[in-house]
Amino acid sequence: MKKTLLAQALCVAFLSTAIAAPVQAGEAELLQKIEKLAAELEAIKAELAANRQQTVAQKQEVLATSVAAAASVSSSPSASVSTQGSAAAPATVISSYGEIAYTRPRDAANQAQTDVGRAVLGISHRFNEKTKMVAEFEWEHAVTSADDQGEAAVEQIYVEHEFKNGLSAKAGLFLIPAGFINPSHEPTAYYGVQRNFVETAIIPTTWREAGFSVSGAHDNGLSWDAGITTGFDLTKWDAAGSDAKESPLGSIHQEGQFAKSHDLSLHAALNWRGVPGLLLGASVFSGKAGHATTDFVANDARVTLWDAHARYTPGNWDLSALYARGSISNTEALNLTLAGNPSPVPSSFYGWYLQGAYKVWSNTDYSLTPFIRYEQFNTAASYSAMPQGLAVAASEAEKVTTVGASFRIGEGVVLKADFQKFQRDSAMDRFNLGVGYSF
Amino acid sequence: MTVQHSSFSAALLAFGLAGLLAGCGGSGSADSSGSTGGTAQPTPEASVSAAASVGEKIFKDISLSASGKMSCATCHDPANAHAPANNLSVQLGGAKLDVPGFRATPSLRYLNLTPAFFFDKDGTPTGGFTHDGRAQTLAQQAETPFLAPHEMANRDRADVVAKLQRSAYVSEFKAAFGATIFENTDSAFERALFALQQYQKEDKDFHPYDSKYDQFLAGKAALNEAELRGLALFNNPSKGNCIGCHSSAKGADGSSPLFTDFTYDNLGVPRNYAIPATADAAYADLGLCGPDRTDLKARTDLCGAFKVPSLRNVATRKVFFHNGRFTSLRDAVSFYVRRDTNPEEWYPLAADGSVMKFDDLPAAYLKNVNTTEVPYNRQRGMAAALSPAEVDDVVKFLATLNDGYKN
Repeated sequence: MKKTLLAQALCVAFLSTAIAAPVQAGEAELLQKIEKLAAELEAIKAELAANRQQTVAQKQEVLATSVAAAASVSSSPSASVSTQGSAAAPATVISSYGEIAYTRPRDAANQAQTDVGRAVLGISHRFNEKTKMVAEFEWEHAVTSADDQGEAAVEQIYVEHEFKNGLSAKAGLFLIPAGFINPSHEPTAYYGVQRNFVETAIIPTTWREAGFSVSGAHDNGLSWDAGITTGFDLTKWDAAGSDAKESPLGSIHQEGQFAKSHDLSLHAALNWRGVPGLLLGASVFSGKAGHATTDFVANDARVTLWDAHARYTPGNWDLSALYARGSISNTEALNLTLAGNPSPVPSSFYGWYLQGAYKVWSNTDYSLTPFIRYEQFNTAASYSAMPQGLAVAASEAEKVTTVGASFRIGEGVVLKADFQKFQRDSAMDRFNLGVGYSF
Repeated sequence: MTVQHSSFSAALLAFGLAGLLAGCGGSGSADSSGSTGGTAQPTPEASVSAAASVGEKIFKDISLSASGKMSCATCHDPANAHAPANNLSVQLGGAKLDVPGFRATPSLRYLNLTPAFFFDKDGTPTGGFTHDGRAQTLAQQAETPFLAPHEMANRDRADVVAKLQRSAYVSEFKAAFGATIFENTDSAFERALFALQQYQKEDKDFHPYDSKYDQFLAGKAALNEAELRGLALFNNPSKGNCIGCHSSAKGADGSSPLFTDFTYDNLGVPRNYAIPATADAAYADLGLCGPDRTDLKARTDLCGAFKVPSLRNVATRKVFFHNGRFTSLRDAVSFYVRRDTNPEEWYPLAADGSVMKFDDLPAAYLKNVNTTEVPYNRQRGMAAALSPAEVDDVVKFLATLNDGYKN
């Protein structure tokens, strides 16, 4: 009886992972799914322990088998419920995610706003067992035209080939594996109506580059990514505008649109999931950003961004922490030409957050998970030296506390609500409501 | 199969690693070659069109005027950044060179990238040629001086074409536009205007981008301390805020700044009684809404707005603003920051001692004057946005925009 229960639980976990496995988000998201599965297995382990029907050794064996199975399924296109495994999975799969948010500033209700933040369609096609293509097409802010603020974009388009189990490579336009949200940015994958500030202002989201990358995963829980891609374009820096202050790298990324490619960038990421429920990881991205532009004084400028992240999901808990820091070097001469402007090029910027969530209630169809997040971020922590009287003071860090809850309906739909408290500028305090889906 | 896969994997990995290594070393060493790669290209002068070549001759031909003494170059002096060399508020023209004009003569430099007049999506009037933007192209702009009584004063198009046919370069004109070009007067005249346009567009003399500031942006020259301070004040949105209209940064495409956003502004420039037309108290030059421009007469909200000019070569000018009211750059800059804090320095006093602010505008249009943006958002008695020493710094910076800087 207990064995049947365990088998059923594993089957549900297995199938739910298979159904939810989003082919569009790449390896990092896949690994996150595995991590979630590992958390669910932890719950099963606890139940088994309570019943004292299984030995620890047996439990570990079950766990290892399940993770391996999940990895196998998740690396294939989303399977239909009726199939028993990846072998019968359809070759071409359509996926999608979207989110709509309502935001109401606490002290300025007249600025309340509702926005279709994004609607994304994904398509993937598996040419054979080892080769597939993945594409994602995004509309932002509902309407895109010459007179509107919307945006239509190819968010990802790449071809991936698996050399052998655990080693694959991809080429095309793909997400840089930095932090949690960039590789896994569906509304069902993060807490809060809006994506957190650190992973939008410091790590640009959704940040993709065109290039080539290799990924590997090992049985000991270690996985890695390394690649060479296009990078940032510092000639796009707008010192007079506000975009550069809101997200330094977000304002100069190229998004695969006629991307200047004289200077290419390197990236690497390392993640370890050797203990069930625990993820420890770090990433780095670095490249020059001047592209040998004629008569540009910052052709030697280099953009480097790194992050370290940790997530622990014991039982109903979901705890995470992330630190990200960026730098732009050799900007002295460029900043001289921008003297007096409000947003010269910073030499460093950083952010970090701590987040805790706890699933207080769940049944077959629903779950409710309150969360709290505290974050600090500074988009202009320092500037290179300027002649006396011309320097712009470094910014102060913004500190934001977000309290809210996610109400999940099945695996693919989430309703969210939260309140955000801004420590430095309380005029920005706001309530948010959102609905999102992902399949 | 397995063997094939392994070797393919190894090859791909090797390729990837080679790419990684190339990324490390390659991006560093190629910079210098990239930045100096343009030296072998032919100079624009070597490749000007036949139209531009004949346009230059028309530009400098004094025989095309009623006086026989005035060419385009007379007022648009190439030696003075294609602007007048004298300090007259308005230039003199006509058959005897004694008829005064109505507006200060603008420089013809850096007009090649000016867009035709349009209202942007916010309703802001933008682009166009002449102080009121009524000419849609440089060619169209060139018609007025040929025919205006206070300029070259030709009777009509046929008059100009007849003179053109007697010119020394008539064969060159025919070579450029066809042997039968003179069979139709309008065609011949319009080809002459086109030739002038092409000359201004193609000849690098009109847009050399070789000021000290250009060289500074390219890292080839250094601004001194005062010039740097001036630049910072120019850019600072709470001080000079000059970049509100006169953009100073390179474009996202790497283009050099033109120091204008092509928009229009109503500055409330004082009336210039040196212009003879102002003897008539009813005379008012309202820019976009007339009298020269007629299509926007109904847009009374635009009355008094004039085109924002490029500031390139502004320090070589002898008179400033559309009516040439100021004869020193320092006064012009001071006017921006002290117009509202010290209006008595710029406007006449009424009999009761009050200041007749914005005295060149009819009362109905006073509200059109820009009083919201920095540095115009002040009131009498407040501190000016720039101190006199800061004005000096801005003026020093503006001098770095003069073409022809020798490092």
